[in-house]
Amino acid sequence: MTLEQSIKHYASVAPDNVAVVCGTQQTTYKELWAKIEQRCEELRQEGVEPHRPYVFRGSQDTDFLVTYCAVHAIGAIAVPLEAQAPADRFEAISQEVKSCVYDDDIVDILYTTGTTGRSKGVMLSERALVSCADNFIADLGFTSELLFIISGPLNHIASLFKIHPTLTIGGAICVLDGLKDINAFFEVFELPFRKFATFLVPASIRLVMQLAYDKLCAVSDKIDFIETGAAPITHHDMKQLSEALPNARLYNTLGGTEIGAVCTYNFNDGRYMEGCIGRPMKNSTVEVTPEGNIIVSGLTIMSGYVADEESTNRVLKDGKIYGSDLGYIDEDGLIHLKGRQGDVINVGGFKVDPSEVEGAIASHPSVRDSICVADTHPVIGTVLKLLVVMEEGVALDKRSLALHIKSKLEPYKVPTYYEAVPSIQRTYNGKLDRKFYKK
Amino acid sequence: MRDRIQALLSEALPAVDLESDFLFSELDSLSVMIILVVLSKEYDIPLDAQDVTPKNFKTLDSLVKMVEAKLQNN
Repeated sequence: MTLEQSIKHYASVAPDNVAVVCGTQQTTYKELWAKIEQRCEELRQEGVEPHRPYVFRGSQDTDFLVTYCAVHAIGAIAVPLEAQAPADRFEAISQEVKSCVYDDDIVDILYTTGTTGRSKGVMLSERALVSCADNFIADLGFTSELLFIISGPLNHIASLFKIHPTLTIGGAICVLDGLKDINAFFEVFELPFRKFATFLVPASIRLVMQLAYDKLCAVSDKIDFIETGAAPITHHDMKQLSEALPNARLYNTLGGTEIGAVCTYNFNDGRYMEGCIGRPMKNSTVEVTPEGNIIVSGLTIMSGYVADEESTNRVLKDGKIYGSDLGYIDEDGLIHLKGRQGDVINVGGFKVDPSEVEGAIASHPSVRDSICVADTHPVIGTVLKLLVVMEEGVALDKRSLALHIKSKLEPYKVPTYYEAVPSIQRTYNGKLDRKFYKK
Repeated sequence: MRDRIQALLSEALPAVDLESDFLFSELDSLSVMIILVVLSKEYDIPLDAQDVTPKNFKTLDSLVKMVEAKLQNN
């Protein structure tokens, strides 16, 4: 069943069960379905048509879910963007998606930095979404007793792909606006649910353990499982989390917008293997070439990129996704990641193409040249650093540079560190020498 | 103390408008964490999850008050 069919089903057989918790507001399946039907009507009146894209910003509340499901329910294609998407990005994406014709089975277009760079629209079929939800239900053990806490942006796949399994199986989701109010996160465990689960990127796991280790231990018995992914988690953090939650299942999952959730490893096994992503999930196949490239196939993969046949053909060949993850399979058949090819920088689970940052700062009047590189922050882990060549006689003003980038790109693409340098290293043909700065 | 805290936080979080009347809504979880770490280190005061309240993080002045209260309790 699709997400919408499931909500309709539970609205009929378990109408008073809670489907969504958001702040103090609880929405039952019956109420949720009523809101979706009403939104369907509004969308039709707006002129939204089946198999045509509907672009909207992902608010962090029940309303997002209502719109997302209503778009599907009338047969249109959901294109949810981040809540802070700047106006020109919203407009550019709207123009791009409206200029294309889509296969009848496409239901979502999710914008991502992707495995190879520049922001791309990933087309997903209904089959991919249903199969991905099925992967989670089968391999992570989602049940109808579960309250799944979502603290990440709802349009990001790490959040969006959890809504599907939770509501398909008749559980409930709890939407939080990030983890900055960490007390609000722990207050959720006082709600009358039997089991709790959540997804946290590794940086958030470290944040919870540093800020509230005692509180985490105190709710240990209520936590059914925690999933992480999107960025590497260290052996130390896996071990510390396992010690805090000895009875919980703790998963490290390989997922991506192009591939869905495909591989997972319960690291609460006494070994805490860094980089391990376990075995392929129910509807997925993962191969590793002799050169170490990870190739994914199965029911959860994308249909292609919007208006970018060249990139689609480069990544998707014969029903298999050739991404930029590198890895190997050990003697027990477990798959391990060992890095990525390419220039994309992973900041707390968000992938950033450094050329986008360089492009954004290029229009700053005081900047002559720049390169965006990865650096390490003691708390956050990998962050962006911008090396800039300033115009002669102009001093570096971090705030001015940061605000300039913030006005053009999403907040996670704004570098944390800035340094003035006399020149930027380039290759013999004038391209930025990224390898030089990786040393 | 206000000027010192403002200087420290502008250095750590260049894109955040520290003079906002709605500072908490400008921050994400990692910025909150950075503020705790920076202030805790600078003034040698214990700061943890209990201190992360919308009231304490409402403005730069409320952060200053939080630090002053912690210093008095120490």
